[in-house]
Amino acid sequence: MLFNSLTFVVFFVVVLGLYWSLSSWEARKNVLLVASYLFYGAWNPPFALLLFATTALDFYLGSRIAGAATPGSKRGWMIASVTSNLSMLGYFKYGNFLLENVHWLLARVGVNYAPPHLDIFLPIGISFYTFHSLSYTLDVYRGVCQPTRSLRDFTLAVSFFPQLVAGPIVRAADFLPQLVAAPTLRAGQFQWGLLMMTLGMFEKTVLADTMLSGAADSVFSYGGPLLAVDAWAGVLAFAGQIFFDFAGYSTCAIGAALCLGFHLKDNFRFPYAALGFSDFWRRWHISLSTFLRDFLYFPLGGNRVGPWRAAVNLIIVMFIGGLWHGPAWTFVVWGLIHGGLLVVEHVARALGKDAPWVHSLGARLALTFATYVAVCLAWVFFRAADFTTAARLLHAMVGTLPHGDPLLTTRALVQVAIVTVGLLLAHGLLRDTSVEAVVQRMPRWLVASLWTVMLCAIILNQGAAHAFIYFQF
Amino acid sequence: MHSSTSSFERPTPDLPWRGILLAVAGLTLVAGAAWEIRCRAWGFGPTLNDTPDLWAQRRDAVRPDSLVIIGDSRAWFDLDLDQLEHGLGRRPVQLAIPGSCAYPVLANLADDASFHGTVICSIIPLIYLAPGGPLVEHSEEALKRYKTRTLAQRASHQLGMIAEEHLAFLKEGDLDLDGLLKEVPWPKRAGTGGPRTPPYFNSVDRERRARMVAACEQPGPLQDRVKFGWPPLFTAPPPPSYVPREAFLAQMGAAVEARFKNTTSAVQRIRARGGQVIFVRFPVTGELKKLEDAATPRAGPWTRILKESGAPGIYFEDFPELASFVCPEWSHLSAADSIEFTLRLVPHLRQALAQAATPAGR
Repeated sequence: MLFNSLTFVVFFVVVLGLYWSLSSWEARKNVLLVASYLFYGAWNPPFALLLFATTALDFYLGSRIAGAATPGSKRGWMIASVTSNLSMLGYFKYGNFLLENVHWLLARVGVNYAPPHLDIFLPIGISFYTFHSLSYTLDVYRGVCQPTRSLRDFTLAVSFFPQLVAGPIVRAADFLPQLVAAPTLRAGQFQWGLLMMTLGMFEKTVLADTMLSGAADSVFSYGGPLLAVDAWAGVLAFAGQIFFDFAGYSTCAIGAALCLGFHLKDNFRFPYAALGFSDFWRRWHISLSTFLRDFLYFPLGGNRVGPWRAAVNLIIVMFIGGLWHGPAWTFVVWGLIHGGLLVVEHVARALGKDAPWVHSLGARLALTFATYVAVCLAWVFFRAADFTTAARLLHAMVGTLPHGDPLLTTRALVQVAIVTVGLLLAHGLLRDTSVEAVVQRMPRWLVASLWTVMLCAIILNQGAAHAFIYFQF
Repeated sequence: MHSSTSSFERPTPDLPWRGILLAVAGLTLVAGAAWEIRCRAWGFGPTLNDTPDLWAQRRDAVRPDSLVIIGDSRAWFDLDLDQLEHGLGRRPVQLAIPGSCAYPVLANLADDASFHGTVICSIIPLIYLAPGGPLVEHSEEALKRYKTRTLAQRASHQLGMIAEEHLAFLKEGDLDLDGLLKEVPWPKRAGTGGPRTPPYFNSVDRERRARMVAACEQPGPLQDRVKFGWPPLFTAPPPPSYVPREAFLAQMGAAVEARFKNTTSAVQRIRARGGQVIFVRFPVTGELKKLEDAATPRAGPWTRILKESGAPGIYFEDFPELASFVCPEWSHLSAADSIEFTLRLVPHLRQALAQAATPAGR
């Protein structure tokens, strides 16, 4: 079920009505659990069983980890959880990718073996709910979270519908405590949740789908050489599209959870105003970057193991981060580019930290802009279907093609320019604050006007609901 | 009990939220009502959007022995379902898609091992032989939706239809944000953009019966805009700059040859199961007729398709009672004429079916 669909509107109204009309907290949790499985099963009912199997297994393994008598057996149960989760993810998401690469490798050494193509249907949101579930056993192992005795609560924590299929990756350690006692709504929390949902929907349907997706799709699917202006416009359009699409989903999820009395953490904090790549990853898909930091980067030794190992650790983490997005080498290269940029930044920081010019406004603006440009160049690999397309686009962007075709209409170029400038200005102005703080300072008439404009634009934008980009991951 | 505790709590701005929400609800309702009145004043009326969901719902209605209409917008506008039911004894299922090549749908029916019904397939050679691009993609998109719809999408479609039947402003492509932005007179950038698709000029019901609106049936700005929009849409785009012309033409030629061959195969598979396919060339008039006749003379693709597939065909110009219609905007019949045309077409369809059912016809 898509947030931007009429079914969800009806579903959400019914769930809210039932949920808030019940006095028993246990009954309300049951309503949420059933609603979450309906939400997921509306895509493909059998996959709800897979979701439950993952959850039940981690519930069991979590209790075994907590009850283990020795560090060795505790570690063994944790490894069992990691292995089972990653195996399932690997089979559904990376099975064919693996076979294709084995085929390619064998062909290189002269072995002509063609493995059969597995007819696998990727369960929607599997990367997200696997990580929701896995975070529980890992946090129990680390001692950050005590195991829950309630399978129902844990099942709800993994499947809570606002964040189930496209994040944020909410850790069980953050969510389970919210299931202990019935939440109380603070004054205005429900309405603020609705406003957040409107904002998220506006970002997704109006800005990502209507204003930007056309230009991005045209440019990335074009089979020939392009003029630099078209290539840049397509890449900037995708940079905006993926932000509005994914941040929009996260904002909707946070808003929906708020309406139900739950608190989810931010997943984005104005990332295109990041000053450097470390800063970018503190602002972009925060729930994934902190997951990889806590469960991969730190266990590898983080930056406490010397500069060389720290650099290797960063590359490993970003390699995994790239691969998490999908079974394609283009995603891996995207991750490795970010890994490389993080390493370069660490070196540059070590060398230039005492230079006074670094702290000047001009330098900060230039470095912020350079970060944005580098992030956009990396997006080329993320979005391109193959390396040939990526190379052709990069050549067009730097002007090294002998000739190029004009592709985008004036309308598309104007839309990309307006939304991109607006996006960068908003991120630049808000980088050190929050949406809540900004709204707090606004006069009430302005809040009502902006909310109305967004709502009207969403209604005006009616039509086929486009799936969120991150559903495929 | 969970012994972990989370102290995280999102802040809520301290504002008079109840009043703000009421103001937003009121303003949105007023704006929506004003927009609805404006849209109706422009001539729009409530109608269903002809989406892949609506098509998929009709595809679901196909039974093994159904009478199915496939093809382009001429079969969509020009055939009246009541008259066909009355004349042929079966309620037809309308699966023609405007601006689309019928072949993917024909192939889908041929691949459906249970299907042994009757197919009425509209042929506009320029569209039917399109090797790829949007004309083929429209059909493929509808088929994809038919094969992959989720429960949630089916439910959203049902809810959407209820709203579309009452609100004119829910007209996709014309009154949505994207459609409105298209109407802005943007300066033309050389070498970019394609011909515009026609604006709103028909209504659609739950059976996908399309009817031309009155404003397009009469001479006027809407009719002119639709009429003069056809020639660019019926003119093949230039080859892409990055493919050598000869190679491109060879590629297109091979694709067209494959279309002839695959059409024959699809027709034979349907006929082998006891089904029938009838090709129909619907009326076209004015400059558009001249353009089509010049690009694809009757002796060309139409004749070849009938000859190779062995299926019967009805060419409107062969029969005075079918050739006497005038398409107000050159390409489609008015709502009233579509009823009369279908009435006159039925005997020819009956005859073609009877002929195809004989051993010689098979």
